[in-house]
Amino acid sequence: MTDVQLWLSAAEVGCFFGLLALAYLLILEGAGFFNFALGPYAMVAGLGTTWLVIEKELSLWPAVAVAVLIVVALAAVTELLVVRPIEARTGGNELSALVAVAAILFAVEQGAGYVFGRRQLPGQLLVRFDPIEIGDAFLQPSAALLLAVTVVVFVAVAAWLRLGGTGRLLRAIGDNKEAAAVLGLPVSRARLTAFVIGGLVAAAAGLLYAPKAGVGFESGLTWTLNGFLALVVGGTGTVWAPLIGGLLVGGVQVFVPYYLGSAAPNYVILGIALVFFAFRPEGLFSRRIRT
Amino acid sequence: MTAVTPEVGGTAGGSSAGGPAAGPPGTRGTGVRVWPPLGLAAVVAALLLVWVGSNGYRQDLGVLAATYALIALGMYVPFVMAGSLSLAYSAYAGIGAYAVGIVSRDTGWPLWVGWLAAPLVSAALAVVLGLATRRLSGFYLGAVTLLFATAFETWLVDADGITDGSRGIGGIRNLSVFGWSPDRSQQLIMATVLVLAVAFALDRLRQSPWGVLVRTMREVPAVVEATGVRVPVLNLVALGIGAGIASLGGCLFASFVRGVTPETFTVNIVFLAIFMPLIGGVGTPWGAVVGALVVVELTLNFPAFSDSGTLVLSLGVLVILLVAPRGLLGYLDALRNRLAAGPLTGLLPRSSPGSSSPAGRSSDG
Repeated sequence: MTDVQLWLSAAEVGCFFGLLALAYLLILEGAGFFNFALGPYAMVAGLGTTWLVIEKELSLWPAVAVAVLIVVALAAVTELLVVRPIEARTGGNELSALVAVAAILFAVEQGAGYVFGRRQLPGQLLVRFDPIEIGDAFLQPSAALLLAVTVVVFVAVAAWLRLGGTGRLLRAIGDNKEAAAVLGLPVSRARLTAFVIGGLVAAAAGLLYAPKAGVGFESGLTWTLNGFLALVVGGTGTVWAPLIGGLLVGGVQVFVPYYLGSAAPNYVILGIALVFFAFRPEGLFSRRIRT
Repeated sequence: MTAVTPEVGGTAGGSSAGGPAAGPPGTRGTGVRVWPPLGLAAVVAALLLVWVGSNGYRQDLGVLAATYALIALGMYVPFVMAGSLSLAYSAYAGIGAYAVGIVSRDTGWPLWVGWLAAPLVSAALAVVLGLATRRLSGFYLGAVTLLFATAFETWLVDADGITDGSRGIGGIRNLSVFGWSPDRSQQLIMATVLVLAVAFALDRLRQSPWGVLVRTMREVPAVVEATGVRVPVLNLVALGIGAGIASLGGCLFASFVRGVTPETFTVNIVFLAIFMPLIGGVGTPWGAVVGALVVVELTLNFPAFSDSGTLVLSLGVLVILLVAPRGLLGYLDALRNRLAAGPLTGLLPRSSPGSSSPAGRSSDG
């Protein structure tokens, strides 16, 4: 556990899962359910950018803009055209929301496979500079950017939830949706905002993480599960909890294969999920117990 | 219990006054309602068997449809009846297929041993996964079962000594029943009979007191808990039954194709298994069978969709969820009722016995 390179790698993976978990948390606050389509959103951002650059020969930044716009559109469509009508008809039945989200997960995955192709593609490097030397390890530019963006995003979201009007509205809805609605607060608008911001965070995560291991149309499912687990491990108590959870899950993903073989992380992750779900579903940092 | 449940079921049905599909499910046991679905399904199945004939490709399609139908029927019990969505169905089917493969490779026992063991193993696993999340929201069960499904896929490749790794197990012995080895056509007929039997049994189970109880639990768990039934236990039983049935699908596939690899049942199957009951209609287990036929047709037998079959399917399911939540059979049923009711009453919203239920409602009505 003294290899600096491994720690850097764990931090990179951890920040990625932390960002995904933060996106989960935002949508959980605003809409009261877990949007399992976040992993595929992140995949679309990463894969879409690369596909636009390689296949459509767009230059880098327009490709990034288009891919992020697609993700925002997907997030808005998820809420406006699918989740909201279904919840309105079923009176907020949880199973219906879960089924709808699973269908969206699968549809986005298959759609990406159909449009972008079913190959694994490399991620696009957004910045180019020499790797930073830390001891005898190197921090790659893509990793440095991911770490920096993670810090900025978390600080920005924390400030927004504390100080911003819509952010505070979101917290109010997260605390008590019915009361917020009775008070006449614009619940639906805040929900849409939560979906879009969650989608943006997921898009940033996917875009910045893609250079590490590449991205294929099936990456989204794994990312969905790891992001969810990061949120469950961290808890929903503070904005920072997802980051802690993400770093823990990321550490497992990096260190376990190093010591126990390449198939082990899947088993360890399953074990962690079972233990946390059974004994501490509120996570490490909790404000209250969600059941 | 028997005296109470129709009452409870009726209350649950009545609580959805907003939905056109509301109606008490207490019309069971009339006999008239029991046989037409089975008879109709038998006729359709016989026609399909005639269409298949001795064409090898069509036989493969037929067995795949039967496999999908069993997985979808397995999904039906916890998902549609009890309202918990378990996403480890690829693993349950995989357990079935590998059980048959391992029995054939390592022992001299008949393959039926695998058929008997796999449902038990799958049901036990489903119960363990359900136990860990029994007091949590359905999203946790979904996540832990999906994690299990992906870990199981990795394990199939990784555990070389047990599963023969990525090569999989081939050369599975032919099925034999007391020395008689059925050929492929006969096996397909047996598979069809199995699907019909399971669907019929589930249809009966759904309308039994236990079925009414489970469906009531899905809508108003507090009421069921108050009658002294442990809701989490009931849920676990439903999860176990479903996993066992899905596992039979895997056994069937491996016995017919006489081989299995880690790619035979991937996580994609899980999503297809959610879609099948929704496409066919959640009001009756027969919907799951219809859904399986539609899925096989769209993904494999329809040239225009060879690349995009699964995409078309998932978009189609979103549309079904939004505009036709009772699926194909529910739609046909409504159409039939409307025609039978004559021009005036046909315009009124009607409750249709085949598809009205607490189980059908939270995704319709």
